[in-house]
Amino acid sequence: MKCTRWQAMRATWTALLSTPFAYAVRLFLGRILHGPGDSGEGELTLSAGLILALLPLPGAFYAVFLFEQYSTLLQWMRGEHIADPVAAAMPEEYFFIVLSMVVTGVVAVWRWEAIFPDRRDYANLVHLPLGTSTIFLANLIAVFTLALILAIDVNLGSALLFPLAIGASVNSFAFFVQFAWVHARVVFGASLFSFLAVFLTVGLLMLLLPYRLFRKLSLYLRSAIVGCLVAALATSFAVPSALRNLPDDPVKWLPPVWFLGLAQLIRQGASSHMAAMGRIAVVGLSVVTLGSVLIYAISYRRCFARTAEATGNSRGSALQSFRWLYKVLDHTVLTSPFQRAGYRFVMSTLFRNDQHSLILGGFSGLGIVLASQFLFSSFDPRHPLTGHLPPPHLLAIPLILSYSVMVGVRLAFEIPTELRANWSFRFNVDANSEGVSLALKVMLSFVWPWSITIAVTLCALFWGVRAGLLEGFVLVLWPYLLGRILLLHFRKIPFTCPAPRFRESAIVVGIAFVLGFFAFAIATAYLEYWAMFDPVAMAVLIGIGGASWYAVSRLHADVSELDREITFEADPQSGLELLDLNRGR
Amino acid sequence: MLEASALSKSYASIPAVSNVSFSLEPGQVLGCLGPNGSGKSTTVKMLTGLLQPTRGKVLFRGEDIREDLAGFRKCLGYVPEEPNLYPYLSGREYLEIIAILRGMSPARRGARLDALLNLFAMYSHRDGVIGSYSKGMRQRILLIAALMDNPPILILDEPMSGLDATTALILKNLIKGLGRQGRAVFYCSHVMEVVEQVCSHLLILRKGDVVASGTMESIQQNANYSPLEQTFMHLVEEVDTDQVSGEIIAAMDSG
Repeated sequence: MKCTRWQAMRATWTALLSTPFAYAVRLFLGRILHGPGDSGEGELTLSAGLILALLPLPGAFYAVFLFEQYSTLLQWMRGEHIADPVAAAMPEEYFFIVLSMVVTGVVAVWRWEAIFPDRRDYANLVHLPLGTSTIFLANLIAVFTLALILAIDVNLGSALLFPLAIGASVNSFAFFVQFAWVHARVVFGASLFSFLAVFLTVGLLMLLLPYRLFRKLSLYLRSAIVGCLVAALATSFAVPSALRNLPDDPVKWLPPVWFLGLAQLIRQGASSHMAAMGRIAVVGLSVVTLGSVLIYAISYRRCFARTAEATGNSRGSALQSFRWLYKVLDHTVLTSPFQRAGYRFVMSTLFRNDQHSLILGGFSGLGIVLASQFLFSSFDPRHPLTGHLPPPHLLAIPLILSYSVMVGVRLAFEIPTELRANWSFRFNVDANSEGVSLALKVMLSFVWPWSITIAVTLCALFWGVRAGLLEGFVLVLWPYLLGRILLLHFRKIPFTCPAPRFRESAIVVGIAFVLGFFAFAIATAYLEYWAMFDPVAMAVLIGIGGASWYAVSRLHADVSELDREITFEADPQSGLELLDLNRGR
Repeated sequence: MLEASALSKSYASIPAVSNVSFSLEPGQVLGCLGPNGSGKSTTVKMLTGLLQPTRGKVLFRGEDIREDLAGFRKCLGYVPEEPNLYPYLSGREYLEIIAILRGMSPARRGARLDALLNLFAMYSHRDGVIGSYSKGMRQRILLIAALMDNPPILILDEPMSGLDATTALILKNLIKGLGRQGRAVFYCSHVMEVVEQVCSHLLILRKGDVVASGTMESIQQNANYSPLEQTFMHLVEEVDTDQVSGEIIAAMDSG
């Protein structure tokens, strides 16, 4: 009997999945995840998996760092004792709430144009015997499903690891479960709020602005929202201390504060002001949920009805204002026609192609999260600023950002785009063109301009010319060496080759990247700190730089001429093959 | 000027093109015709150096193009069969990248790009992303890319695809004009009326083999058929087109 009922339910579910409506939901879900671009043959088609794998990383990374802070053993060794771990973890909990909102919000902004049905959907669906209400509901369900998936995925790592870290200071499983359950619900709610708030904003703007104006302003609005989200993240270390001044402090307007209040309210440890904040979180989540459905319904009609009228967008003109920069670079840095054309192509791809923007944004985001944690700890009263020298954690910040961005760009180089279009390069590029030089210039242009102008200037201003010069030496040489190491055996034009096959070495490369992070950012920062007051450490730092330069140059010089030639193959054959003459013995 | 010498290409031991030979001289517009799978695209890719022949050579001014592929391509304008372009670049950006890769100076490429964008009615769309272009607009971008460096040889694979009537007419006259000006044009197409109108010479392929080659008149005389369509059907097609179309209608009505 049970079996029959189960079978009947399964049959109903299968029948439901095969209805036109279910197919439409899946179609929209896939469209939002994969984006509106054409995916060519041989290109990376794992974008959804890649997205979902990358999103929990920032939270998980940050949570791992907290084990050091909350471990009972390390507390005992330091002679510290955390009496109230929940109160002590409040700044970190706030940070996780902000992080979950920022990551989800950025994804929602990134998928901005895919949230509503577009011209392709219009062309493919409208002539079919599907009612407009079916299309409307299918897209709505797809959007809400995506919001739920994102909210779970983004917080997956931190929801487990953060309570584990905090639980390490208590040694009580019940505490861990209770803390984890509350934390998970709050960050999940915060993520959902963030996604729906972006969704509501898109809908509202579509409704209020003329359609053409909305299209034109879209890029700027998205940039503004991302800017606000990143600013929320970067200032998250300052907010918890301002909570003492509630309700007069303007931080009460920040949604992450509402959700922090909610967490304290559920744990029954909230002050009256924080409890009020918690209640606002519940009301806010309800309002954005209902509001987004309502606004979606209204703007859907307007947007979808006008799809046929919409002409080509002018997204390309956004970077036209940087033409002067290309001209300057043409006369200074980019020394050959190949480099000039390649630089334009690579930059446009990195900023305009969704997959590449995601990877670059993901790694930059990871860098910002880690850097903000280091900034946080630089201002920590437990590690006060000495005033004479920049603390190592502060010196590590530009190195962390440089490492994250450069590794992100390098990884993005491996992800192909529009392989069918690479004939343009096959046809016009000489095999002897310098792919490494082009790639290195691109990577460094993401790092050198800001690190030299901002970090070195600030260092010189606050801690003197000597510190500034040393900072300049490190921030010029270290990224250069990192770029050369990352581009060893690189012989491509970025994005024009199929993605390399995953091999056994992938795990080793992953571990090398993590270890490289500690060597590049953390060890260097400490060595630089010591070099500021110890001449021996200074000599060691300069010696390491020189030795690394020599080693990297030798490695590049040992690459044969044939192995430098530009290739459009995923795994090009080496120009030099070793004969294994011992095999037969 | 450009010579295909006994070109053959096999994919996994399946021959796509066998022993194809012809020459293209300045002032000639050589039309290449053939049904699907006849080896036209493979021949074009070998001519442009995008594909290495299994046997045979492509000679440019008597030298194997592989000896100096970059130098050969500098003299070549190419419109591929499919308008595969980077959809996130604007038309102007794409053309600029190609112009820089071809080594055109900033002054020359600026003036020439603007003029060609204007003449191909693309100037007002130049900053829109290619992804938003229609097929005809993409085709026009490809034509500009092929023409902007003023190459002595042009290889055009289905260049009329997606073009509107006016642009197609302009292109037909342009090809004839380029031929008269002394350029060598290799023109690949399925549209026989256009081939008949613009080409001085003809190459007909069938299952990877050359079935006819020579001037337009000589081929038509040898085949004893006057319109090119009939000559082509006589030389290449093995199906009764009337019968097949009748069968399609019957299949639609069946069941």
